[in-house]
Amino acid sequence: MAQSILNGFCMGWSYILIAVGLSLIFGVMNILQFAHGEVYMLGAYIVYAFCVIVGLNFFLALIISIALMALFGLLLEKFIFRPLGGELLTTLIVSLGLMIILQSGVQVGFGITPKAIPSFSHAAVADIMGMKMAADRLIVVGISIAAILGLFFVLKKTKLGQALTASAQHFDAARLMGINPNLMAATAMAIGSALAAIAGGLIGSVLRFNAFMGGAALLKGLIVIITGGKDSILGVVLAGLLIGLVDGIFPVLFGPAVASIASLVIVVIILLVRPQGFLGHAQ
Amino acid sequence: MPNRRIIKSLTLIVVIVVMLLYPVVSKNMYWIHILCIMFINILLASSIRTINLTGDISLGTSGFLLLGAYGSALLAMKVGLSVWLSMFLGVLMAAAAAFLLGFAITRTKGVYFSIMTLLVSEILRLTMWYWKDLSGGSQGLNDIPRPNPINIFGMITLTFESKISMYYLILVVVVLCLLALFRLERSFGLPWMALKKSDVLSESIGINVFSYRHITFIIGCFFTGIAGALFAHYMGLLESSELGKFSMLSSIYIVIYMVVGGEGSFWGPALGAGILTIMPEIFRPLKEYQPIFFGLLVILIIFFMRRGMISLPYYLRLWLLKKENA
Repeated sequence: MAQSILNGFCMGWSYILIAVGLSLIFGVMNILQFAHGEVYMLGAYIVYAFCVIVGLNFFLALIISIALMALFGLLLEKFIFRPLGGELLTTLIVSLGLMIILQSGVQVGFGITPKAIPSFSHAAVADIMGMKMAADRLIVVGISIAAILGLFFVLKKTKLGQALTASAQHFDAARLMGINPNLMAATAMAIGSALAAIAGGLIGSVLRFNAFMGGAALLKGLIVIITGGKDSILGVVLAGLLIGLVDGIFPVLFGPAVASIASLVIVVIILLVRPQGFLGHAQ
Repeated sequence: MPNRRIIKSLTLIVVIVVMLLYPVVSKNMYWIHILCIMFINILLASSIRTINLTGDISLGTSGFLLLGAYGSALLAMKVGLSVWLSMFLGVLMAAAAAFLLGFAITRTKGVYFSIMTLLVSEILRLTMWYWKDLSGGSQGLNDIPRPNPINIFGMITLTFESKISMYYLILVVVVLCLLALFRLERSFGLPWMALKKSDVLSESIGINVFSYRHITFIIGCFFTGIAGALFAHYMGLLESSELGKFSMLSSIYIVIYMVVGGEGSFWGPALGAGILTIMPEIFRPLKEYQPIFFGLLVILIIFFMRRGMISLPYYLRLWLLKKENA
């Protein structure tokens, strides 16, 4: 039971990393970035490439992957999303096109067999208050918490972060205050993609993955954003933990069928009560 | 311009005649299969467009396709109804589900509508996947019967055992459905246009926004259900895995067909579905690189031909004019 709770936490934090990035992009640029799951998937594959093929240390590979994905996010914003001007349908279709390209591109490059990143010893067991837990998952949770705390600090304490928060809360008002919208969109894409790369690298180090890992992750990210509200990081964190725990514990308690449907049903009920999202505002 | 209208109708008639004659000319079963799938995709893209007429993007095609398909197949197999009756009831099931779920779904707008339809469709698929008594789980549902023979005035008997007869059945049903959708757009057109522009303004001139969006959603899902029933009895087997016809990805493809074809015009989605279903078959020699080209094509069309493939003549004229002026 303790192990499944920890698994839930582990998955939950990866959902949080994806959802926070997705909600930043969604909030600032008002687009649904469907290829976000593929950024997460690429993050895992780059760590795999540097770790296994080049033979670097896992943490070094993770940092390279984060930097590359942040750059990738910048490029996407500059050359794909900025020229389209934020229309829902066109950005949706373009990100769907990107999703197909990236999925099959990775399949061409890395083959279709599932991959695993040998990072931490899978056998290592940490003993916390008499409960035995897998050490690798604890490290994953630790790094994720550090990343979110770092983001929290940036958003609250730096000028850029405050401008970003303002844009996400009310885009037009932020623009009237002299905040450059293109700069904000670029920052959101870079931070969002970097967070997705962290999540990808970490999940890739505990679970086996393939080119289609992004679809399920995107779905979870959307679920978390709706449950937690797109404007509040704290809300996203709480919702991510909740959904992660549901995913961790429900399979043990109720079997896989209920578990896979439960979190979807929760969101549908939330949207039923609050059609504009849990903490969202009517337009 | 009446001239353009004549050209349009003529093109349409030529396309239909070519499709009617195709099995007579060619006995290549593989292409007949591809064309059957193409007709079903055309119907799906057009019904998704109907939902889009109020401004919403449905990512939940798969869910209602699944209801039509499994509803019809299970009623025929487990209850033992005649296939025609079961197809009819399967379609009604999809529409009834759209009616009930519509109360929840059509309350949401924009991005939330898309997410909501996506989630509902995943719930339906997962329910079917885990309900092994009904769906057969990973083995799928096999040996779904073909429609029963019809006897016309005791003179001619139409049977549907062969692939070619199913081809004609699908073709006829899809053409009839498209005509029905076309007529519906004529009668609902103005309120739909108003809703797409602004629902606050439409409400102010007395359009009941909620019920219009609800009805539109039901209409779209009804035709999706028809496509599902045809699909089930044509394929003969159904499976609801996460990579099959009822997956998230396949709903996504339908939306891509719609936009790449040109969601602004009635025949746009049909054209998009037609070309994009056939294209992967033509580019099959590219093997695993083929989806990359598909994705690139989609992005290029959005960037350079926002109105879709159906507006190619418009863009050609535009580019020619630019060239002359340059």
